Amino acid sequence: MIEVSGLHKSFGSHHVLRGVDLLVEDGQSMVVIGGSGSGKSVLIKHIIGLLKPDKGSVFVDGEDITGLDARHLYEVRRKFGMLFQGAALFDSMTVWENVSFALTRSGMKPKEAKEVAIEKLRLVGLSGIEDLMPSELSGGMRKRVGLARAIAHQPQILLYDEPTTGIDPIMADAINDLIIKMREELNVTSVAITHDMQSAYKIAGRIAFLYEGNIIESGTPDEIKSTSNPYTKQFITGSAQGPIKIEGVELKRA
Amino acid sequence: MPGGPSLYRLLEFLGSACIRFTRTLGSVLILFAETLKEMLFPPFEIKNTFKQMQEVGIKSVPVVIITAVFTGMVLAFQTFTGFKRFGAEALVGTVVALSMTREMGPVLTGLVVAGRAGAAMAAELGTMRVTEQIDALETLSTSPVKYLIVPRFVASMIMLPCLTIIADMLGILGGYAIAVWLYGMSSALYWRRAWNYLEMNDIYGGLAKACFFGAAIAIVCCYRGFYTEGGAEGVGKATTGAVVMSFMTILISDYFLGAWLLK
Repeated sequence: MIEVSGLHKSFGSHHVLRGVDLLVEDGQSMVVIGGSGSGKSVLIKHIIGLLKPDKGSVFVDGEDITGLDARHLYEVRRKFGMLFQGAALFDSMTVWENVSFALTRSGMKPKEAKEVAIEKLRLVGLSGIEDLMPSELSGGMRKRVGLARAIAHQPQILLYDEPTTGIDPIMADAINDLIIKMREELNVTSVAITHDMQSAYKIAGRIAFLYEGNIIESGTPDEIKSTSNPYTKQFITGSAQGPIKIEGVELKRA
Repeated sequence: MPGGPSLYRLLEFLGSACIRFTRTLGSVLILFAETLKEMLFPPFEIKNTFKQMQEVGIKSVPVVIITAVFTGMVLAFQTFTGFKRFGAEALVGTVVALSMTREMGPVLTGLVVAGRAGAAMAAELGTMRVTEQIDALETLSTSPVKYLIVPRFVASMIMLPCLTIIADMLGILGGYAIAVWLYGMSSALYWRRAWNYLEMNDIYGGLAKACFFGAAIAIVCCYRGFYTEGGAEGVGKATTGAVVMSFMTILISDYFLGAWLLK
């Protein structure tokens, strides 16, 4: 279970998170939606302890991780797997070395680790590419390898940072299917951040809308679809007209 | 108040420059302390360290050879023609040997390594930062300081003195080539003058400086790369900044280390 409570974070004078509260139950699939620059990435980085909040706490299975020292934080992070927006594959290593990185680091023999990597790659729909370098892969394949790396150490929680951004719609849908498959087959809790509503509706058990540093609405995909909140409504229908102002843009209807 | 606002601006400028400098120095020292801490606890990154020793050391050998040989040659040439004016050209060997071991060997090797391997460190770590690979290491429960910085730090600290030994020897040989082959000095005289006034302390002092330069280059360049912001442009800035900062550190610390170690 992940519980974020009263999270505040500023960068210089820019107050990004302003008291975020979020509860993700075990086995749930939470999708946080929000515009560019709304602080979604900052939120997800707090959940895995990559950033320290100015105020507030993040509880993972009841343990507050915001005050932990590096060593304990690394322990907690073994529960997590994270898929980065650009996959963040280590470009000095082959695909299988990437996938089995956490395993070889914790002492697994290379031969055995390679077998596990091949098995994880098969799980995300890839085969025969284990000896390639990341630079030889397409965007969609990189994301899949990133996902294989995230699940290699059998985490209980998966975090997805904009899983469908930057790939074509068909590949994006295939990634959505994979995210659902991960939840069903591996029984993981997942938190995804995205601004792709199609993807959100498909993968979410619950959706939370982050606006101006706060979660202003959350509910099941059906509840969100039928929302009466004008901000949420504008965001999910993707309209330029409405209460949400686009920074630096003056919009007038002809 | 005449001149008031511009005086304020000047003070503001000086003040913010001081704050920036202090903050950078503080961050570098914190990273240095963290590196030392991570270095002492297992697991030890032996494989990575050897890889970096190859990057920093072996691959720098050709450039160091060329730099050292030509520096030795220039030293011999200038000393010979200059000292000839007062009949002291027999001291060429002494000047070349002392200059190379005490100053030119360590400093030039440091500059060459900073320009070659240091720039690569900053660019590589910077790229890893902006493509979130450093965050990815963290999420895979691996300390990026241990995995990325410690091997570079150890490798530079070991390889710089090794490269300096090569530079010292080849610089003296370069001087020999000019003094003996070009100016017809006797070979025995060159060696005698070179050895007679050279103390072991000159060589050790030079190597100690090289060791310090190695540590400084690695920490400064890794620092600039590690805290890169702002995409491809940021990586470019980090790389340039790393090289400039390393050069400054080497040249300034060289004076103080020299005054302390090589009195």
